[in-house]
Amino acid sequence: MPKALRIVLLLAPGLGLVVGLMALVVYRAAAQSLGLYNFAGTDTLGLTHWQDLLSNHNYWGAIRWSAYVATTSSLIAVALAYPLALWLRRPFRGSTFLSAMIKAPYLVPGLVAAFLLINVISFHGFVNEFLVWTGIWQKPVRMQNDKFGYAVIGLQVWKQLPLAFLLLTGAIQSIPDPVLHAAQDLGAGMLARFRKIILPLTAKAMQAALILIFIGAAGDFSFQSIAGPTRQDSMATLMTQLQGANHNDWNGAAVVGVSLMALSLVGAVAFAGLVQLVAKLAEKAR
Amino acid sequence: MSRRALNTILAGAVSIVLILWLVVPFLMALMWSMVDPGQPWSYPDIFPPKLSFERWKIVWETTSLSTAMLHSYSLAPMAGLCALLLGMPTAYAFGREEFPGKTIAQILMLTPLVLPGFVTAVFFASLLLSFGLFDRYPAILLGHVVLFLPFAVRILSVSFAQVRQDVVNAARDLGASPIGVFRVAYLPVLKPGIFAAFLIVFVLSMEEFAISFIVGVPTFTTIPTILFSYLGFDFIRTNAAVVSLILVVPNIVLMLVLERLLQSANPANVSGKG
Repeated sequence: MPKALRIVLLLAPGLGLVVGLMALVVYRAAAQSLGLYNFAGTDTLGLTHWQDLLSNHNYWGAIRWSAYVATTSSLIAVALAYPLALWLRRPFRGSTFLSAMIKAPYLVPGLVAAFLLINVISFHGFVNEFLVWTGIWQKPVRMQNDKFGYAVIGLQVWKQLPLAFLLLTGAIQSIPDPVLHAAQDLGAGMLARFRKIILPLTAKAMQAALILIFIGAAGDFSFQSIAGPTRQDSMATLMTQLQGANHNDWNGAAVVGVSLMALSLVGAVAFAGLVQLVAKLAEKAR
Repeated sequence: MSRRALNTILAGAVSIVLILWLVVPFLMALMWSMVDPGQPWSYPDIFPPKLSFERWKIVWETTSLSTAMLHSYSLAPMAGLCALLLGMPTAYAFGREEFPGKTIAQILMLTPLVLPGFVTAVFFASLLLSFGLFDRYPAILLGHVVLFLPFAVRILSVSFAQVRQDVVNAARDLGASPIGVFRVAYLPVLKPGIFAAFLIVFVLSMEEFAISFIVGVPTFTTIPTILFSYLGFDFIRTNAAVVSLILVVPNIVLMLVLERLLQSANPANVSGKG
């Protein structure tokens, strides 16, 4: 059997199935956003559904909100993971336990994470009881579904910090000790070593962490619908609302879906560029 | 103060923060699941007035949890098995063959991971509608298999790459049939990878919400969708606590097993050579 045919046959059941179905999904979203496959009327190819959504303030609100939550969550998660990964670079007594504790939330499903947080911040949750007990607050405060999305961002950070930690730890641990020792011997302080060696050598891992967290948070449904502000939609909640039985507007949902894919792409490209720029500037700075 | 002492203090402080970060939420979920229906837990009580397993019994007897568990616990092993069977040939190609476009093929394999989960779910449901596929069980199974195939392929391709060519050649030279070569040269190295790939797809399928929710709504329930029903419009905290623990505890145990398997997936462990 010719090699090319053998490779095609080997790839067909796994890669072929994945690429085939995902291509169909993306095509379906794009086609429905342009008026095709209209389940509630006749197919009309055009930009009508885009025009409808572009003049809808809920749509713009959802884009702004998802971009805000995704950007903030990814930056905070990476900012917290960096010092932890640096600190746990070399093993010491208790470091295995600390690493395991940091990584543990990654094993918790999103819905369970949202429920756990709601319990902690609820009217008589741990935070309220503790602050009232210490006398910092006179009475419990309502923290659930706050309008600034702190609960949603907190949840994203809780859930995604392990991912950033895992990626950064791998990159930091692969920096050879002699490189850092040589820099130290040549008089480089902690900050200079971070700027000139660690940051450039871990830039790719940081990029990956920021991008993956951004994409995950931008497409969030569970955290938003459980812990997010009641009058604010994320792109995923808006999309499912439009597609759901009350509206049955699959084409409108497709516009939101395509916009969400575009937002994920824009965020990924922006973070990739930003990390490269920061790494270059840090390396050049004296 | 010495650097070592400072590190110990820092480790202690971070441990306390992490325990609060992790243990308190689970402890609260456990307490909520054990609040006795006769004596509600309300402010300013710091702990529930009475603990019992009554709530677990009520949830089991009065909700569709048993059906949801049956669906989840049958979908997950099926998805794991299908992902293994479908992913094995691709993993072999990625792990043991060189061909033009291999890097692109490996990147394309990751598509389900970079596409937002709800976009995949909604337009997968749209495709099912158009094709007239209304049977929810096989539809959700197909969705899970496609969504989690990248994980299985990644783990299996690493395992395939670890199979030593000299062992394969030796088995062939000694007259082993293709099945014999697979049994003596491939299988011992692949075994931990096969278990790990199966387990990761199992765990991810158990946790999957988007496809199960969009495709399954309103009649087909899995553990995550029933949990969402208690967290959403009809918020029942005690029921949600029970279902959360039912979902999360077995998965954490399985993930710990998975980590062990991945650590043991070293060719030196099975072939005796590094």
